[in-house]
Amino acid sequence: MTEAAAFAAWLGGAIIVLADGRRGLALGLALMAASLAVATFMAGQQVGAAALLAGGIVGSALRYRSGPEGWGLMQPGSTPRIILTIVIGLLSLYLALSISTGDGGALRFAALASIALTSARLLQGADRAAALTAASALALALGAASAIAPAASLSACVAAGIVAAGASTLSVIEPSGA
Amino acid sequence: MEPELAVALPAAGAACATALRPRPRLALGLGALLGAGGVAAVILSAPGAASDLLGVTLSLSAPSRSMLIVAAGALAFVVILAPQNAERSTLLRWGLAGLAGMAAIAVAPTLDVSVMVLLALVLLQVAGQGRRPYARRLRAPALAVALLGLALLFARMPGPPALQKLGAVGLVAGLAAALGTLPYMHEFDPDEPTSTSPIPWIAFVGPLLAVVVLTRARELLPSAGGALGAMLIGLGLINIVWGCVASWRTELGAAAWRYSFTADWGLALCGFGLGVSEGQAGALLILYSILLGRLPLYLWSRQPLREKIQTDRPINLLVAAALAGSAPFAGFPARILVLRGATALYWPLALVIAATLLLWVPSSLRLGRTMGMPTGRQLAGIAVALALSVALGLYPQPLLSLAGQ
Repeated sequence: MTEAAAFAAWLGGAIIVLADGRRGLALGLALMAASLAVATFMAGQQVGAAALLAGGIVGSALRYRSGPEGWGLMQPGSTPRIILTIVIGLLSLYLALSISTGDGGALRFAALASIALTSARLLQGADRAAALTAASALALALGAASAIAPAASLSACVAAGIVAAGASTLSVIEPSGA
Repeated sequence: MEPELAVALPAAGAACATALRPRPRLALGLGALLGAGGVAAVILSAPGAASDLLGVTLSLSAPSRSMLIVAAGALAFVVILAPQNAERSTLLRWGLAGLAGMAAIAVAPTLDVSVMVLLALVLLQVAGQGRRPYARRLRAPALAVALLGLALLFARMPGPPALQKLGAVGLVAGLAAALGTLPYMHEFDPDEPTSTSPIPWIAFVGPLLAVVVLTRARELLPSAGGALGAMLIGLGLINIVWGCVASWRTELGAAAWRYSFTADWGLALCGFGLGVSEGQAGALLILYSILLGRLPLYLWSRQPLREKIQTDRPINLLVAAALAGSAPFAGFPARILVLRGATALYWPLALVIAATLLLWVPSSLRLGRTMGMPTGRQLAGIAVALALSVALGLYPQPLLSLAGQ
């Protein structure tokens, strides 16, 4: 179950990297939120998982209502992005399972891959909708990463949920004159 | 309940100032009142005392508390003696939003929450109307959040000590990206409004963020403290040299000011990296002088820079002396403390730092000229900034005691 959630978190991050339309971005955010919530829940952080799920669902619902039309998945010229998602997945797998040791490898992989993928999307110079979706997803990933240190995780997960939902309320329209 | 109020009151002040934008005087009055309430809450809070009013343990450390008080003082100073072309209510609105974010970063129960607040601040700043495209304004501070997040993740991963060292690299790189120092200098447009430019990161939010990150980093990375210090010193020296030379040689006056902040940060990073009390005290003094001296002076230089007025009057030379860190200004004891710390750690390092201190002279003389011929509020502001710098230079102990030094 945890392994499937970790893979789904990577898939959600990959969709955020590959999508340009609001439907695709909302799907990626919802998938990542649900899978990170499952991974956090399995790590014993039930309340934290609920906060991540709530923040992610609100964020993806708001994103579904605003942004460029359609799915915008894998548009022409997105081959470098596809390669990037695969490379990040493999590197995260290596760091989380081979270099790092002990239990909780799936949560480590999910958090690492999600942070790396959403950061890559933010650095791509995307439009506002994609950048804000990536910021929401980054907040969720940071919240899930805090669950590796259980004592510290609840407040971080709640803050992550609030930031993830809040980022999606910001306007995606570029102010005139900017 | 002081930590909660320290965040809530400035945030309410910023919200009121935003909602009352069509009525600037009312916005200014109400914002100032709520902001003053927030500062009072910070002053009344006991350092290290935890508050659990909201079900989350919040507390304010002594260095963070002192930095918040100085930042609030700098904001009040800049709003009261605002540059002629700047609207006071706009300055207060952005300043209070920054102050609320800074208080939230400082009182947060863990570094994870501080990073989350930083992400929220980044999104709020880039939501404003700037001259640069949205994606380019977002890029560097978002990279900072990502690097800090990765650092926290690596620091917690069980495994070989190399993971802790990777965490240390991430923390230093993330901090540099958040501040906008080398190797992650933020893109800078001299004509952009200060509130949406990189200046708030390097000169207003940055000092508190650095104190919070570096204070908590040593607890988070107990086995990588040496690596963290070495990286801070190395990065600090690079920033001193690059910042001073670029500030002296660059064509644009506003860009020269930005590089001068970088040079000051270099010295502060060296001080923090030394890991001895003199170094920490020196670094804190540098940060206080950025907030109370370099930032207000930069704001008052913007109008003469636009009008391309450069003069060599006594006031310009005094400003140059203050910026160069000569006695009796605040930069002087800061440099002495950093040099003492470096001598205690490894004396050849003190020689290198002492040699780099000379680089401040030509760039400061250049920056002093950019103040033009100050009159009215600008002259009063410069006089107050210089007086504060002299007071801090002659007797820095009260502020250092406030920071627990």
